Amino acid sequence: MSDTGDGLGRGDRIELTFPARGDLVVLARLVASAVAARAGFDIEELEDLRLATNELCMLAMQGSDAQSGALYLELTMHGDAIGAVCTLERAAAAHAPTPEGEEIARLSELILDALVDEHGRESHDGAVRTWLRKQRGEHGA
Amino acid sequence: MKGGPERAPGSEMQKPGSDADEAGAATGNPHLDAAKREELITANLGLAHQLARRFLHRGEPLDDLVQVASVALVKSVDRFDPDRGVDFAAFATRTIIGELKRHFRDKGWAVRASRRVQELYLELGHATATLVQQLGRNPTVAELAEATGASEEAVIEAIEAGQGYRAASIDASESEDDPLAVRLGAFDGNYDSVEDRALLGPALATLAPREQSILHMRFVDGLTQSEIAAAVGVSQMHVSRLLSASLKKLRETIGQAEAGRP
Repeated sequence: MSDTGDGLGRGDRIELTFPARGDLVVLARLVASAVAARAGFDIEELEDLRLATNELCMLAMQGSDAQSGALYLELTMHGDAIGAVCTLERAAAAHAPTPEGEEIARLSELILDALVDEHGRESHDGAVRTWLRKQRGEHGA
Repeated sequence: MKGGPERAPGSEMQKPGSDADEAGAATGNPHLDAAKREELITANLGLAHQLARRFLHRGEPLDDLVQVASVALVKSVDRFDPDRGVDFAAFATRTIIGELKRHFRDKGWAVRASRRVQELYLELGHATATLVQQLGRNPTVAELAEATGASEEAVIEAIEAGQGYRAASIDASESEDDPLAVRLGAFDGNYDSVEDRALLGPALATLAPREQSILHMRFVDGLTQSEIAAAVGVSQMHVSRLLSASLKKLRETIGQAEAGRP
């Protein structure tokens, strides 16, 4: 994929902000799919990124009341890889994590382990930030 | 940096031993003897079950998805090589998700969607198989669009509609006139007595479809609040509030009905 034409190239960035609700994570999945398609990801890589983006958003919301506030998703092209950062402003967690919530979070992290090259989760100043990086295979033109 | 845990939730990582050289003949995996193979499968069935739940509410019964995931777990155990230093849970997760995706791609789905999207999704499955043969690799969306004569956007839409994922809202309308809550089935329950059923039926009917479905998941399917939260795509705390409110409404409705009895 070159930096010209109708695809996406290094440094191109797509941003999406939506209410932090589970039923709207479909928006993040669709955007991730569209970005992956334009970045030349194959169908398996696209599906991996799509599911991983879902987990990324759910992981950011995990432990939060998640019925208000905004979820901010940023997808960036890094050469042959796509980086995604999901940020939930306001302290998702104004609520202490529960054992059940942490178990769900661990499953999300396990799924991310299986689907992407790198990922992480951190909290800072009342915001929760999750991120991933997914590399395109060698087939990409 | 990998952020994943050392072990899968609900499962225990079992490192196969190295004393299983004679085991291959029995298990198909030269690294595992039959006992360790069995142990590894049993310890990770919870993981298979949880991953199957991620794909729930797409019209496929949970039992079918659990079966697909469990077969994939067995495959991953038989293919696992502990000497490679790969975490088994991550390896198995990859295999199980792959099999679940393939299951939907091969079978299509029972959930109603527009005919155009259904046909395209099924066509994509066939086109993917053909292109993998031709190209020797997985096709891109652009290649699938060209092969099926559909736009790239339509291909992406069909993938989303065909596979979905667990964060779909129970109220989100995925076809124009058919919210998911309606497709989850009526709340008929398995109550112990006809009298209970006679009281509960009309009371349940006063609840919103989402409230009925969440009660069904909690008290009929036996899901925990967190599992319901994950399936529906809301927080566990919100599920807790919905359950409390629904039960309160039920109690009030039934109380009124009993007060009106002769």
